[in-house]
Amino acid sequence: MAERQVIDARGAFCPGPLMELIGALRHIAIGDEVEVWSTDKGSAADIPAWIEKVHHELVSINEANGHWSIVIRKAK
Amino acid sequence: MASNPLYIMLCSGEHEKVQMAAMMASVGAVSERPVEVFVSMNAILAFAKDATAEIRYHGGPFSKLIKEKHAPDAMTLFRQGREFGDLKLWACSMALDVAGLEMDRLVEELFDGPLGLTKFLSDAEAGQLVTL
Repeated sequence: MAERQVIDARGAFCPGPLMELIGALRHIAIGDEVEVWSTDKGSAADIPAWIEKVHHELVSINEANGHWSIVIRKAK
Repeated sequence: MASNPLYIMLCSGEHEKVQMAAMMASVGAVSERPVEVFVSMNAILAFAKDATAEIRYHGGPFSKLIKEKHAPDAMTLFRQGREFGDLKLWACSMALDVAGLEMDRLVEELFDGPLGLTKFLSDAEAGQLVTL
């Protein structure tokens, strides 16, 4: 079963949430997941675009409780 | 397919432009795009070692907002770009000479070394050049 780490990047401005995500991905195993919480409006488009560019997997993306929640699975 | 390299010529010491250069360089590098930054003119003064944000960054209304809202620090973004991606920073050798600066007066572990404009422009023919 994949492990999931939550990164609370609420209040961080672009590209802070992306950088926090990348920092977290470096320390988890392939197949494990990171859930990023972000209030940065650009994250909803920027993070999925980055995931596609570098070939990780987007598990889900939702907006609730005033922030975006984006779940990424490390693929490589 | 390999990404088209991005070359950024940072000449302005204006905070907003230093910030934009740092954002472009870091995001480009972590997106598997080779990035090289050539720092010259007033911009080299923004990279002084051990400077506080107040001393390092000068600009207009947006500079104040960047500081007040605690947007990511430009030097931190450059460092993250180097750590997470293929980012190189070069200090313009002419700017160093004119300002009387040595490399050890600049932010530590950020630069790959001094470089001349001729070499940077020659390398930049292989990619996209942006000047700030």
